Amino acid sequence: MGFPSPHGNAIGPPKPSPVKPARTLVEAELVSSIAWLIHLRWFAGAGVLLATWLVGAVFNLGVPAGPLFTIGSGILIYNLVFYLAERRLTHASAPAEAYDRLAKWQVSLDWLAMTLLIHCSGGIESPAILFFIFHIVIASIFFPPRTALAFAALAIGLVSGIALLEFYGLMPHVTIVGYLETRLYLNRLYLAAMLIFFASTSLIVAYLASSIHERLRQREEEIVELSKSLQRATTRLQALNNGARTVGSTLELNQVLNRLVKSTAEAMGVRACSIRLLDKSGQRLEPVAVFGLSQAYLEKGPVDAVSNPLAREVLAGKTVNIPDAPNSPLIQYPEEARQEGIRSMLSAPLIGKDQPLGILRAYAVEPDRFTPEDVGFLSAIAAQGSIAIENAMAYQTIEQLDEAKSQFIRMVTHELRSPVSVTQSLLRTLAAGYAGTVTEQQQDILNRATRRVEFLQKLIDDLLDLAAGKTEVKALEAREPVDLAASLERVVKRFELSAQEKALTLAFDKEVAGDSLVVMATMEGLDRVFDNLISNAVKYTRPGGRVKVTLKPMDGEANVMIEDTGIGIPDEAMGHLFEEFYRAPNAKAIEHEGTGLGLTIVKDIVTRFGGRIAVQSTPDVGTKFTVSFQLTNPEEF
Amino acid sequence: MDKKQILIVDDDPDQRLVLRLPLESAGYTISEATSSAQGLARVKEVKPDLIILDVMMDTATAGFQLALDLHSPDPESEYKDFRRTPIIMLTAIHSTTPLRFTPDEDYLPVQTFIEKPVTPEGLLAKVREILGEK
Repeated sequence: MGFPSPHGNAIGPPKPSPVKPARTLVEAELVSSIAWLIHLRWFAGAGVLLATWLVGAVFNLGVPAGPLFTIGSGILIYNLVFYLAERRLTHASAPAEAYDRLAKWQVSLDWLAMTLLIHCSGGIESPAILFFIFHIVIASIFFPPRTALAFAALAIGLVSGIALLEFYGLMPHVTIVGYLETRLYLNRLYLAAMLIFFASTSLIVAYLASSIHERLRQREEEIVELSKSLQRATTRLQALNNGARTVGSTLELNQVLNRLVKSTAEAMGVRACSIRLLDKSGQRLEPVAVFGLSQAYLEKGPVDAVSNPLAREVLAGKTVNIPDAPNSPLIQYPEEARQEGIRSMLSAPLIGKDQPLGILRAYAVEPDRFTPEDVGFLSAIAAQGSIAIENAMAYQTIEQLDEAKSQFIRMVTHELRSPVSVTQSLLRTLAAGYAGTVTEQQQDILNRATRRVEFLQKLIDDLLDLAAGKTEVKALEAREPVDLAASLERVVKRFELSAQEKALTLAFDKEVAGDSLVVMATMEGLDRVFDNLISNAVKYTRPGGRVKVTLKPMDGEANVMIEDTGIGIPDEAMGHLFEEFYRAPNAKAIEHEGTGLGLTIVKDIVTRFGGRIAVQSTPDVGTKFTVSFQLTNPEEF
Repeated sequence: MDKKQILIVDDDPDQRLVLRLPLESAGYTISEATSSAQGLARVKEVKPDLIILDVMMDTATAGFQLALDLHSPDPESEYKDFRRTPIIMLTAIHSTTPLRFTPDEDYLPVQTFIEKPVTPEGLLAKVREILGEK
């Protein structure tokens, strides 16, 4: 068996991608949260301004409108700065750290604004204290739990600071006129209760929000990971399917092997893939197809199927993963693998119906590259590939056998042809009297002998034709546009005399309007087909009968009908008509000699020209052969 | 008129007989050779007017080689005297084999081909035509 040479497919290792690594899920979330927070803060700033006006104008409470308006405007102003900064970062595709700094700045300024707001709206008496809770939630979303807790502690510190400073009179207390009856900020009990509850709420909220957020983040990461692996699985399935289709679309062994290695390497996204098949002795593993390996690596040395431990294990039916090829004791050529840049290997068995065929192997430049998923995948490819390889091998064997058979027939017939033709010449020389006078009886015997030898000659020629038809692929290339009508006219003319002698009507009916009917064939071949069919019609039609040849176009095809009013073909003979050496019993009765190859040759030639042949017959009524060929547009040539 | 000399080069004795009988009875003098080498030697000996040559002898194209040697355009060729001696070539090549030959002045210096099986009438007609008789 001719194995393909593993040349010309070698490629280098893949170049590192110049694209920046994509943001992680956490980073991506930070970036989008910052935008969201800036968006919210416009409302917060506007809210402070609106609330300050409402409290004074509608509820008639005495608040320090000036400082509160300043805080509201301050929030809007620093938010504008953050807004611009965020846009600049996005535009420059800044690293995640820049976003993290921006987030810390925002939270810090928000904390400051909150503290001022609380101070200006009544310190520990201010209902705005509650707003700190959602700030803590926001911080928990932005930062890891520890940072979130630190910010919560800071909030507690700030609120307690204001409360204590006001309590001890170190800082002026802002009283909202008409809001509270009593001066709660001086009430120790209230102060203590308020601070304790605020502190514990802050810490609990920070803890809860962080852990809920953390859990959500984990889930989200899992989902992302899951969808990634689903994506990988889909890609692989598609690749497997594509591979199977391309591999299955040919029966040519070399093509099957080459397509298999290429589609496997591509589907797994690895550097290289190879197939080694066992040679006839079953001792050696020969590389027969390769994708992505250097010539030097391929020629590293023989791989022995018996002594190589890896080969033995794989050929026994196991898919073997080698995570660290250059240091594995299973590898026969570790140094060569290192030089080739191969770090891990996955080998799957190619196993035929009866015996192991070889090994399908994937090579990766990364150590420990192959996952259990890959093991299953390569095993599946190998199983599917084994079938394709075995089919291609079987097909190759059949083709070789068919070729050998044809060769044999050719050889035998050539050997037969020479003595038969000399015998014919000898008989003719004798009959012609060149070796002395021949009596009438001798002449008769010589004529009989000549006829038998002539038949033998015809049989040999037919056999040669048949064998040549099977082996000569070139016959197809030799096809040219041929005019059907011209061929039919020529052949019909040849039989005019013999038809006349038998008192038969032989007619050629050309139902062709204008253009000639041109088909792809050879003149010799077409003549041979029609010669056989018309000669049969004339031979097997009794005197006084009719033979009609019709040529007409139909749906892009040319149909040639050869009809006779002859002896017909018995039903039992119909199925065997085109078989080699078959002759219908009623035909034998009429004509003793006949090779039984005529219709076989006709069918062979018609098929080679891409045509069809059909037969209809009623015993004692007549037979109709219809030959159809695809029409060719002569302008295409 | 002198009898014309015809040299038959064929390794098959039966084939030689088939050629010889009709030609002798038509009044030609026949000499025979059973191989290309012997044929070349006999050419110098008998100086034939016509050579009948089988294509397939020791090898599938031995006859062609002999024809090429004989009709070599080389002025120093040892067979230069026979450059104009006509050759009839016998072929058993079937019409379906890829090897098909036609007489070609440049490539094959052969006057005509006769396909086996040889008929006495066909042979005599070709020989007379080439020797310019009738």
